Amino acid sequence: MRNIHTSLRYLILALPLLAAGSAVAKDAKDIVIAVIPKVAVPFFDDCNTGAKKAAEALGVKYQWVVPQNTQGATQVKIMEDLIAKKVDGIAISVNEPKSVEGVIKQAMAAGIKVLTFDSDSAKSGRSMYIGTINEAAGATMGESMGKALGGEGEVAIVTGQLGASNLNERISGIKKALAKYPKIKIVATEGTEDDLAKAVSVDEALFRGHPNLKGIFGVSQVGGPSVAKVLATKEFSAKKGTVQVFAFDDLPDTVKGVKDGFIKGIMVQRPVTMGKLAVEHLVAQINGNEKESKDVDTGVTVVDASNLGSYTK
Amino acid sequence: MSSTQHEGEPRRSSQGLEFSSRLTQLLRVRELNVFIALLVVGALISFSTPYFLTTDNLMGVFRAFSMTAIMSIGMVMVIITGGIDLSVGSAMGLASLVTALCFDYGAPMGLCIGAGLAVGVIFGAVNGLLITGIGLPPFIATLGTLSIGRGLMYIITHGVPLTPDTPESLAFLGQGYVGLVPVPVVIMGVMMVAFSILMRRTRFGRHVYATGGNEHAARLSGVKTDRIKLIVYTTSGTISALAGVIAFSRYLSAEPASGFGSELDVIAAAAIGGASLSGGIGSVVGAVIGAALSGIIANGVVLMNINTYAQQAITGAVILIAVSLDVFRTKRRGGFS
Repeated sequence: MRNIHTSLRYLILALPLLAAGSAVAKDAKDIVIAVIPKVAVPFFDDCNTGAKKAAEALGVKYQWVVPQNTQGATQVKIMEDLIAKKVDGIAISVNEPKSVEGVIKQAMAAGIKVLTFDSDSAKSGRSMYIGTINEAAGATMGESMGKALGGEGEVAIVTGQLGASNLNERISGIKKALAKYPKIKIVATEGTEDDLAKAVSVDEALFRGHPNLKGIFGVSQVGGPSVAKVLATKEFSAKKGTVQVFAFDDLPDTVKGVKDGFIKGIMVQRPVTMGKLAVEHLVAQINGNEKESKDVDTGVTVVDASNLGSYTK
Repeated sequence: MSSTQHEGEPRRSSQGLEFSSRLTQLLRVRELNVFIALLVVGALISFSTPYFLTTDNLMGVFRAFSMTAIMSIGMVMVIITGGIDLSVGSAMGLASLVTALCFDYGAPMGLCIGAGLAVGVIFGAVNGLLITGIGLPPFIATLGTLSIGRGLMYIITHGVPLTPDTPESLAFLGQGYVGLVPVPVVIMGVMMVAFSILMRRTRFGRHVYATGGNEHAARLSGVKTDRIKLIVYTTSGTISALAGVIAFSRYLSAEPASGFGSELDVIAAAAIGGASLSGGIGSVVGAVIGAALSGIIANGVVLMNINTYAQQAITGAVILIAVSLDVFRTKRRGGFS
């Protein structure tokens, strides 16, 4: 038993070498790629679109596996199932970086190519990360605010889940960028659990508690729409235009907020590109065409009233 | 078994005579305690921030917790029968989504609101039938419908919020004011009074308490307990749907995760307001006060600029202290009488 196991292991270790030699180890139609998002939200629909198109173009089989909730354990279970099904490549947007480390290592040991997209698990040994480098995106957001305020004023950060690592990286990027503007003061950081109703209440309380507030960072996807809704009410209508709002992600309500003048700018990530690159890199790795993988920053586009109709993802 | 029934509301009303004050007759002992806790917490917040006791802020807070409070009115009735309704958030979210869908198809406003409310009636009736017809435990039955409702929302929306064009007049329900008071708060107030009267002054109300106090005894004395339960679950579903329609009117957007996790807030409101999860005890006014307590704490921690990471822990601690004082005072009173 043990011998078979060891020889299997050698075989698996040798596989990439064989693949590298022959360049085509598998027929494209025998390759199965699975992509796991965090949860069912519009952002990941765009990832799905990009990934599906890339899979069709390359002629590989493609599977989109959506977790029922955001718990780390749910993604671990899905990964285990996919390992048992012997798929060839997995791209995952991680809900909890720590909890998937073991199962990603297990998949890699079983010869499955794994990369992360959108949300990373840096210590899992995955081949690469494709997505927004969130700290860089946060810095872009902070820089945009600094310019919009002329380098002076009170600002607040409205985030989603307090524990979400991608949101916290954005926040640290914002803080780094604002370090250049000593007269801009962050007076509050508030969580909203990514719930629109909660976010609206938090925004209202922020405006009341900080009458001199000049800027709001909507770090998660409810940030933009919630502030736009609050600024549209009679009570806070005087603040429209005097409060600069920057948001993340181009949900319909956020885009409308820009159109109506409530939101100054949106950091739009490139989910379609993420999905596309994820599948392309996995297939290249499986075919042995990509031996050394490097992280890819897909970047953000700052969308405001001037380029609202013309940006691509 | 029978001791729970003795502690039930019907007996409270006779106990109330021992306290001559009219106020205690209006607000039963238990509710008065939580109400005092509410005032104390409110006073503490207003000492530490000047922005709390402003009309705008208070009305904003009232509007924010009115959704939870409205849903807790249905929930407390369910809890009094000894049951639980975990599906309120799903009924609320699905009702808001169906209303949005109707507007998307261009249906007239009355039909859209009616369709939203119908979702709640169906949701609640299914819960009631699963519990009384098949005999499923309420926890399981409503856990199942919670999950089905949530799943339907994802199937319909694919995770994308639905934002149809709506007539201007719709916004009145969620965003309008009567004088200084936001419309959802008015609805909450009217419902609180109406359901308090229903639960305290009518035969139906007494039967609801009797069902939860001792179901067997109630059935032997002629209470149609299954029918009571069916009505109560249907009411809870319908009230949640009403909250969903109001939420849609307020945000003009049906979020795929709308109402997610709200069952816990709603159950907490009823329990903080003195309802016993083993049935037979609880009141509509208490549930609304319970929702108010959570609501002003949520507002206070932001106004007072409390570190965001500490907010949840502080909220939990304040609720534990408030309810412990309530239990302590109730026990002491019981010792004296």
